[in-house]
Amino acid sequence: MRVTAETKTATRQRILEVAQERFAAQGFEATTTRDIAGAARIAVGTLFNYFPTKEAIVESLVGEAYAAAAAKFAKAMDHPVHAAPRSLEEELFAHVAAILRKVNPYRKYLPAVLETALSPLATVADGDAAALRAAHLETVGSIVTRHGRQEALSTVALQMYWTLFTGVLAFWAKDASPRQEDTLALLDQSLAMFVGWLTGQGDTSQGDTSTNPSSGG
Amino acid sequence: MASVTELMRALPEPAEDQAGEVVAPHGVPAAGFPATWSLRPVAVGWFRRLRVLGTLQAKIGAAYLFHWLRGWFKDADENKRLLAETHWRTAVRVLDSMTYLRGAVMKAGQMLAAFPDIAPRQFVETLEQLYFRAPPMHWSLIEELVFRELGDDPDNLFAAFDKKAFAAASLGQVHRARLKSGQEVAVKIQYPGIARTIRADIRNLLLFLTPARLSRDWDNTKDQLDDLRMRLERETDYEQEAAMITRMRALFGEDDGIIIPRVIPELSTSRVLTMERAPGVHLQQFLAGNPSQEVRDAFACKIVVAWYRMMYAGRVIYGDMHPGNFLFMDDGRLGVIDFGFMIELDDTLWSLMEGVDRAITTGSYDERIACLKAWNWIGDDPAEQDRLRLAERFVDWQWRSRSDARAFDFGDEADFRRGVDLFVEMVRKRYSRSRPCAPAITRQFFGLRSLLYQLRAKLDMARIAEKEVRAAGWDRSDFARRAEGEA
Ligand SMILES: Nc1ncnc2c1ncn2[C@@H]1O[C@H](COP(=O)(O)OP(=O)(O)OP(=O)(O)O)[C@@H](O)[C@H]1O
Ligand SMILES: [Mg+2]
Repeated sequence: MRVTAETKTATRQRILEVAQERFAAQGFEATTTRDIAGAARIAVGTLFNYFPTKEAIVESLVGEAYAAAAAKFAKAMDHPVHAAPRSLEEELFAHVAAILRKVNPYRKYLPAVLETALSPLATVADGDAAALRAAHLETVGSIVTRHGRQEALSTVALQMYWTLFTGVLAFWAKDASPRQEDTLALLDQSLAMFVGWLTGQGDTSQGDTSTNPSSGG
Repeated sequence: MASVTELMRALPEPAEDQAGEVVAPHGVPAAGFPATWSLRPVAVGWFRRLRVLGTLQAKIGAAYLFHWLRGWFKDADENKRLLAETHWRTAVRVLDSMTYLRGAVMKAGQMLAAFPDIAPRQFVETLEQLYFRAPPMHWSLIEELVFRELGDDPDNLFAAFDKKAFAAASLGQVHRARLKSGQEVAVKIQYPGIARTIRADIRNLLLFLTPARLSRDWDNTKDQLDDLRMRLERETDYEQEAAMITRMRALFGEDDGIIIPRVIPELSTSRVLTMERAPGVHLQQFLAGNPSQEVRDAFACKIVVAWYRMMYAGRVIYGDMHPGNFLFMDDGRLGVIDFGFMIELDDTLWSLMEGVDRAITTGSYDERIACLKAWNWIGDDPAEQDRLRLAERFVDWQWRSRSDARAFDFGDEADFRRGVDLFVEMVRKRYSRSRPCAPAITRQFFGLRSLLYQLRAKLDMARIAEKEVRAAGWDRSDFARRAEGEA
C-alpha cells in the first residue's frame, strides 16, 4: 500500500496528539516510545520513521506551538493599536510572552529540548529547532531594527539574547511559583538588562554613561 | 550629631568578600532565599552608580539600626555579642539585596541622622517615605499579568484601560480603566513575585536580627518585630485588603461625606485589585490651592471621623495614615483608600483601648497610670519609675489634643516638637516594651498627627469622639460613675 502525503501528515499529527496526552497523563520521563506507538496504533518501527527520539516529539510539539505564537504575534504587531506605542523592551517582552502562552502546555517537557536543540551550545544547523531559533532571532532583529537600533545587532548581541531567552525557558520549566510569576519577573529583568546593554553599547557618542551624573533617571 | 563616617564605623563589617552566599543559622534552610534576585536591575549606565549610592545609604541606615540593636547586648558576654554581630553582618547583606526597601532604609537612616535636632517637618517627611518601592512595569508586562490573574486580555475584560500607570503603589502600580458598564475604576497591580520576595526577605532579616534571648525587653522587641512582619505580609495580599474595604465601607453612610471605593470582586485577585475610582487630589495638591481654615478643618474632621468610626464601630485601627491614602474632592467629600495595613482590636486590645478611653474621658490620673502600666507591662519596681514617668509625659502630650475642652491647634509646631522629642527620648532609652502592635499604633498615630499638622487643623476632638462613641452604641456609663465616685 502506498503511503500518501496526507496519511503521513495524519499519522504524524496523531503521534503528536497521543504523545501530548501520554506526557500529560504520566509525565515525560515515564512515557516510552512503545507507549506512544501503542496509543497511536502503529508499530514502534513506524514511529521511528517519523520521530527518531522522544525528544524529537517534544521538539515538534514545542515547535508547532511556537510557530503558532510567532504568527499570532507578527499579526498583532502589524495592528496599529498594538504596534505604535511599545518601546523596544516592551515589544521584545510581548514577543516572548506570546510564545510562553502558547508553549505553556509543554512547559514541563522543555528541559528535554533545552539540553539539545535549543541550548545556546547547539551548533547543528538543521532540523526544526534550528529553524525555530533562526525565525525567533529574525523577529528579534526586525523589532530591534524597527526601533532604529540595527547597528547594535551583532552576532554577539544575538547570542547574548539567545542565552538570556533560553535561560528564561530553563527557569520557567522548573518554576514552582504561583502562576510562574517568578518567570515573568526574570523575563522582565533579563530584557531590561539586555536592552540596557544593547542601547548602552550602541551609543558611543556620549562616552561612558556611568560617570555622567546627568544621564541617570 | 553623628557624622556619616562615625555611622559607617558603627556598622559591623559589611564583609563584601562573602557577599553572595548566606549562612543560615539554626539549621534554617537557605533555599530560595539568597536566590531572590534584587528586583529589576536598572539599565547599564546609571545602573552601577545607583547601586553604589543605594548601598551606601542603606548601610548608613543599617548602621543606626545596629547601633541601636547593639545596645541591647552591651551587658551580654563576649560570645553572645560576637554571635549577634555575625548575624547582623548577614542581615546587612540581606538588607543590601532588598532593593525595593532601599528608599525606606535610607530615609530611616536620615531621620535617625537628624537626632536630636529633628524638626516636625523632617519627621513628617520621613514618615511619608517609609514605604516599599516596586519597580515600574511597562504595558506588555501589565497585559501579561492581567491575563494570568484574570484569565483574559485587558482589552477584552475592560472597555478601556490606560497603558500608563497614573499612580505608584508600594508593591506595584495603579492604572485607570473603565468597565463595560461604564464605571470608572482604578486597577492596582503587583509586580510579579514581589509579595513572596518581601515575605521571604523579611522573615530572613528578622531571623538574623533576633538571634538571642537576652532580657525580657529584648523578647518583647522580638514580638513587636514579629507583629510588624505579620502586618507587612498581610499588606501584600490584595484579597485581604478587598475584604477589609468591604467591611469598612459598611460603616459609612452617604451623609458622612466619606467615600471608600467599592471593590469589583470579579476583576480582583490577591495580586490585582480593581475598585471604583474616587475623584479628588492628594493633600499636597489640595494645600497648594490655599484652602481656607474652614475648608481645611472640614476635611481634617472627616479624617478624624473616619479614624474614630473604624475604631469604635469597626474595632479596627486604620494603620496607614499617609497623605497618599486620602483624596480631597472638590465637593468637600473625603476619599479613603488603601486598607492594607489595619490593626484589628481583639478582646485584649479592646479592653486596653477602653482603658485609654476611660482615662481620657474621666481625666483621672490614677486611671492614666493604670492604663500605662497595663499597656506597657510596667511594674511597681522603683527601677521602672523613669520608664513610667516618660510614658506618662508622652501620653499627656498624645491625649492633650482630646482632653482640651476647646478646639485644639494641630498646626502648633512647638507642640508637635514636644511629642517628637519625647518619642525620641523613649527610643534612645530603649523604653520600647509594650504590646506587640505598639509600633504599628505609634506609626499610625504620628501619621495622623502629621496629616493634621500639615492641614494646620483646629479641631474639637472630644466632641467628635463623643459623637462617634454614641453612634457606635458603646455604653460608657460606668466610666461616669467611676469618675463621680472619685470626685
Ligand atoms: N480607588 C481609587 N481611586 C482613585 N485613586 C486611587 C484608587 N486606588 C488607588 N489610587 C491611587 O493610587 C495610589 C496608590 O494606591 P494605594 O494607596 O492603594 O496603594 P499602596 O500599594 O497601598 O501604596 P502605598 O503603600 O504607597 O500607599 C493612591 O495614592 C491613589 O493616588
Ligand atoms: Mg497607599
